Amino acid sequence: MSPMIQYVPGDSFFHRLDPRAKIVFMLLMTTIVFVIQRIWIAAAVWLSLLALWRVARLPFSTLKQMSKALLGITLFLFVVQALFYPGQTSLIYPIIPETVPIIGGVGRITLEGILFAVLIALRLFAMVLILPLVSLTTPVQLLALGLVRLGLPYSLTYAMTTAINLIPVLQDEANVIVDAQRLRAMQVFEKGRFWEKLRAYPPLVTPLVIGAMRRAQLIAVAMDSRAFGASKHRTYIQDIRMRLSDWVFMGATVLYAALVVAAGWLIP
Amino acid sequence: MQEPLIAFRQVSYRYPRTRHYALKRLEFGIRRGEFVAILGENGAGKSTLCQMLNGVIPHTRGGRLRGRVLVDGLDTRQGEVAQLAQKVGIVLDDPETQLFTTSVLNEVAFGPENLGIEPDEILRRARWALDVVRLGGYEDHPPSALSGGQKQRLAIAAALAMMPDILVLDEATSQLDPVGTVEVLSIVQKLNHNQAMTIIMATDKGEQVARFCDRVLVLHRGELLAEGTPRQVFADQDLLARITIRSPQVSQLAAYLQRHGRPLPEFPITLDEARRGIEQIVGEQPEA
Repeated sequence: MSPMIQYVPGDSFFHRLDPRAKIVFMLLMTTIVFVIQRIWIAAAVWLSLLALWRVARLPFSTLKQMSKALLGITLFLFVVQALFYPGQTSLIYPIIPETVPIIGGVGRITLEGILFAVLIALRLFAMVLILPLVSLTTPVQLLALGLVRLGLPYSLTYAMTTAINLIPVLQDEANVIVDAQRLRAMQVFEKGRFWEKLRAYPPLVTPLVIGAMRRAQLIAVAMDSRAFGASKHRTYIQDIRMRLSDWVFMGATVLYAALVVAAGWLIP
Repeated sequence: MQEPLIAFRQVSYRYPRTRHYALKRLEFGIRRGEFVAILGENGAGKSTLCQMLNGVIPHTRGGRLRGRVLVDGLDTRQGEVAQLAQKVGIVLDDPETQLFTTSVLNEVAFGPENLGIEPDEILRRARWALDVVRLGGYEDHPPSALSGGQKQRLAIAAALAMMPDILVLDEATSQLDPVGTVEVLSIVQKLNHNQAMTIIMATDKGEQVARFCDRVLVLHRGELLAEGTPRQVFADQDLLARITIRSPQVSQLAAYLQRHGRPLPEFPITLDEARRGIEQIVGEQPEA
């Protein structure tokens, strides 16, 4: 399975954008998703991001995978918000009367609770589109270069990009460990109950973490052996340049963010 | 007499948080242009020795280092790893842990970029290094899409782009199939012959040593047990039995014949030598 944040080669408008323009887009969009308080604005932002997904010609199968992964959390959110949000408009009246101390009112589902759960779910679905829109359309090397040009230290950006590169490797290692466990007749992950699955995680995570630490040490040796951090003036064979289209995109992102925030304030 | 390019002077080393010395009182020299094998079983200290050559030990790994390791006159304790990386290129056993960029070209350029070399010069070096390892044309391929042998060749190219005088192979073929192994070692042999590059190869495989190396240092539990040409080392069957290293099969056969009073004219370490020896004996036999 190709990881959800691994670069997908392509030649879309989004692919051609300067990484810096995409990083600014990512930061602004993340911020506005955090501050949205109205359902219709959250829905509009989510739909805009979906439209951008289409513009970037990214596979919808990846989107489907991500949505599937979010379904459990969304369901949990609905249950928690519906039951515990302090709303006034009751849709389902409490099982235990309000007059009973401490547990009184349990079981009430309010309209405000449901609406708040919808808002959170929309924000969540919008949020998970932002990072992949950048990471799936930008080679990790260029992303690092973009961050360096924006003023971040190279060592920090390199740590980030190496971590991204390591995700598929760790996924592979986890699969190998699960296979090894299956070979010894362990079927918890296929047939086990929830608690059994939970108990099965430490034997999976322990060798994974030990393997990751060993790998990190070897990567450090390999990087040191190739003069990592040797020069304050590191050079790059690839160069990035902001073109008119990048400035226009960045301007449009800023304008869009301003409109979203203003709409939240001005329209009731 | 020519000063050795690499000199170990009474070198002992132990890793942090251990009492046990991984290397003990090593004393040897390696001359420029030699192809030297560090032969030893698992845990003999081969990788530790390799990582001393470019200063990763003690600079990155820490630990306690006694004695002096001199590389081209530079004490590795004084020299920075980055400085030593320009003299000593190293290729590790696991190709996955030494390739960490998204394209073959970026991988080869990574070292020179770290040194702040001009992009035009980096591209020139990268093209040369990729041609040497026969990966020209693969510049845009992701390293993860290469075969095991190709990955190790890429790791060699990445080391070569630093223009080192010394190339260290730390069990660099241990995870390769026979075809990948020959691919990698043939390239290394060419670098040794054509560019007079000094090669140090840590291995536990006698066949490889016999076929490619000029000299062997035998390491056992951190100590230097023997030193000599592959022929001298493989002729000492008692020594090899003690350290559980297998000599080439033809050498084992020759030793067997020797023990049974039928020695070959010259102790063979390769199949060709054994064939010549046997032909000589057969040729000398009176016609029936």
